[in-house]
Amino acid sequence: MKPALSVVFFTVSSGAGLGWMLWLLLGRWAGVVLPEFMFSLSVGLAVLMFVAGLLSSTLHLANRRNAWRALARWRSSWLSREGVFALAMFPAGALALYGIVNGVGVLEALGGLLVIVLALATLYSTAMIYACLKTVPRWRSWHVRVAYPLFAIASGGLLWLLVAHAVDAAPAGARGLAALLLLACAALKYAYWKHFAGDAGALPSRAEALRLNGRVRLLDAGHTGPTFLTHEFGYVLDAGRARGLKWLSLLVGFMFPFAIVLAAPAWMVVAALACLAGLLVERWLFFAEAQHVVRVFQ
Amino acid sequence: MKLGLVIDLDTCVGCHACAVACKEWNGQSLMAGGAPDYDPYGEEASGVWFNRVRHFEVKASAHRDGESGHVNLSRTVNVPMSCMHCEEADCVTVCPTGASYKRAEDGIVLVDPERCMGCNYCAWACPYGARELDQDAGVMRKCTLCVDRIYDPALPEPERQPACVLACPAHARHFGDLDDPQSQVSRLSRARDGGGMLEDLGYKPVNRYLPPRAPAQVDTRAVADRPSGLKSRLADLINRAIAL
Repeated sequence: MKPALSVVFFTVSSGAGLGWMLWLLLGRWAGVVLPEFMFSLSVGLAVLMFVAGLLSSTLHLANRRNAWRALARWRSSWLSREGVFALAMFPAGALALYGIVNGVGVLEALGGLLVIVLALATLYSTAMIYACLKTVPRWRSWHVRVAYPLFAIASGGLLWLLVAHAVDAAPAGARGLAALLLLACAALKYAYWKHFAGDAGALPSRAEALRLNGRVRLLDAGHTGPTFLTHEFGYVLDAGRARGLKWLSLLVGFMFPFAIVLAAPAWMVVAALACLAGLLVERWLFFAEAQHVVRVFQ
Repeated sequence: MKLGLVIDLDTCVGCHACAVACKEWNGQSLMAGGAPDYDPYGEEASGVWFNRVRHFEVKASAHRDGESGHVNLSRTVNVPMSCMHCEEADCVTVCPTGASYKRAEDGIVLVDPERCMGCNYCAWACPYGARELDQDAGVMRKCTLCVDRIYDPALPEPERQPACVLACPAHARHFGDLDDPQSQVSRLSRARDGGGMLEDLGYKPVNRYLPPRAPAQVDTRAVADRPSGLKSRLADLINRAIAL
């Protein structure tokens, strides 16, 4: 599949923003008191990352005038569900914010709880946009459903920890929890690659797809130039390059931040940035490695 | 009704007349909104096609089978592919705007360009590469089964068929109701072991493909080990004279 940079940026930025929001709300309820200015700044930046991601995701639309219609088919389409949950977060967030600013505990709790539920629902819907496609065998696995929400929570957690650590408000177990999450991310991604290393995720053979007996090879794809299909589904990733990028994303995205969180918390900003950079590589690979079944006919 | 195509892979000669006729009809179509070309006379000519013809080779080990004396030969199979108008059309399920829809009355899968936002998600859900984005209008295009021909009372009845079917010089394409077991297409599909492509995915494609017939088997031992009597030498001579 063609790795569209707008979608790669959207998933990483929006995910981290939502993850950050989760940690801000849960941390507040767990008694972590950030100074008012830092809390507001964090909320502002998390919302900014989330919105920037959403806007970026509309960049790949060929007809943005109809983007508002994407909320119509929430009963069948995960893409539509993602949009509905993401937009529902704004009134819920406004409710929570009103509660926080005016000291109305009930509204803060209600709004906050709604934001948490909707953020998790949004993350899961984004994961399901890919996991529900029967045409891309490499996306048909539980790894894909879990990975994206987990990565979002881990990267958002590092951003939250960065702020909490800077103002000396980080609770004792927070670093350990963040490190554990990073380790879980690395293990999950490794398990995903291991799972699809063999025949799992392979496309059917040409003979199977065409119901022909014997060895089948393509003589002529029927077109002389590039087509929509070659552009969208024809991307082929060099195996050597894929291996290098896999290790890069594991090391930079998860293991390096893991080491910093445990050993050098003063460098937390490096850990957070490295994690985001590693996730950009991971998401890029997620698309570049996936093979669409239409490739059998090309 | 379950309207669809039955395509005979045995008789298809791979001439692309169906693809060109489709382009010709739908390039003007109000229903499909057109299938544009990009840089049509340039080096990298490209464009939207609702129907593409691929050419495959089925390889055979070209040695004589010792027991039967048959020689297995490779063959070319031409495979035209367009929307299969699936019964379980995931392209419709995944569409967030409701632009993609499947008609209840005849099962034709269509795109409403007024609602489409050009997100390509339906094309991702289609295993047959049947959907292509119109970059000019920013909306998805696909085979309409010539819905603007097949119901047009202004056309003489024999012409109320998809343009690809009318154009096929080898009569390899057949159009009809696959829901009706007595229809010509249903009977043809039954008689020739018609089947859908990539059925394992569970989309229940409506279009049927008739597999190539087994090639005529010639026992080559009869040719290689022919008798060397006077009669056969005379026959040889006559054969050669005719061949001149």
